[in-house]
Amino acid sequence: MEKESFDVLHELAPKVLYPLKVGGIDISITNTVVTMFAAVIVAAAILIIAARKTKLVPGPFQNAMEIIIEFIRNDIIISMIGKDGLPWFPFLGTIFFFILFNNLLGLVPFSNTPTGRLSGPLTLAVIVFLSIHVYGIRKHGLIKYFAGWIPPGLPIFIQFIVFPLEAISAIAKPFSLTVRLFANILAGHVIIFVFLGFAIMFDTLYVVPLSLPMVIIMMCLEVLFSAIQAYVFTVLSAMYIGAAINPEH
Amino acid sequence: MGLLGAGIGMGMAAIGTGFAIGLLAGKAVEGIARQPEAAGVIRTAMILGIVFIEAIALYTLVVSILLWTKG
Repeated sequence: MEKESFDVLHELAPKVLYPLKVGGIDISITNTVVTMFAAVIVAAAILIIAARKTKLVPGPFQNAMEIIIEFIRNDIIISMIGKDGLPWFPFLGTIFFFILFNNLLGLVPFSNTPTGRLSGPLTLAVIVFLSIHVYGIRKHGLIKYFAGWIPPGLPIFIQFIVFPLEAISAIAKPFSLTVRLFANILAGHVIIFVFLGFAIMFDTLYVVPLSLPMVIIMMCLEVLFSAIQAYVFTVLSAMYIGAAINPEH
Repeated sequence: MGLLGAGIGMGMAAIGTGFAIGLLAGKAVEGIARQPEAAGVIRTAMILGIVFIEAIALYTLVVSILLWTKG
């Protein structure tokens, strides 16, 4: 048998299903795009079904969704922003469910998760970045918002050092959000692919009893990490929003 | 050479991250054992700390993948 080369990153690259070009911009339908739309449809369907027949005494399905929603409301928004952060609930809830269902559907074979590529998390992080700063400037005014970055009571020459540092950290925040989500999901998928590829790499089937349980264990871990990463992205967004709403602390 | 650098760098990042997360989780468990009613607050703080620590290792992962694909 001819020895095949096994390239993990090639396996993880999106596969074009329907080539499409509009005005020189490549918007081909890849399996990444299909996964993203499937995630949106599944998330919307589950939330709509859970919300349609709300009963005073909830059934098990409605109960489970209420636990997740209350977790986002109490443990993420109220503990990170405070009561005045509740208008941000639809935004943060959307981000949470979008990332959660993208991560989970990315584990289905032949799909390709958008959050495991650089572009998906970067888009979300840029949306968070813009909404934080636009909202902060609209609430406090341009001068007062940027003045709020400097802790009060500092000598004037230290203020000139602190302000560029704060500006750099504000610009670095979306990138750290991006890399955290993208690299976590990519690392998990690379590990699953490497374990799956042992049989091809060593050119024997005797490693399958060893590698297959590892794949199953890593899959279970990935389901856990999907939820944790969605939580982490939402919590950090809420933290940055809280810092923009109440800049004094 | 790039592959060697990627492997060594990733391993060293794993050493540092493992040490840091072990220390953090140990201290968090100590805190919960001493004051079980504060478990929720401590757990949130621990997860946030772990997230910031592992981000450093993930930067190394990205650099390693770049070195790996460039050969």
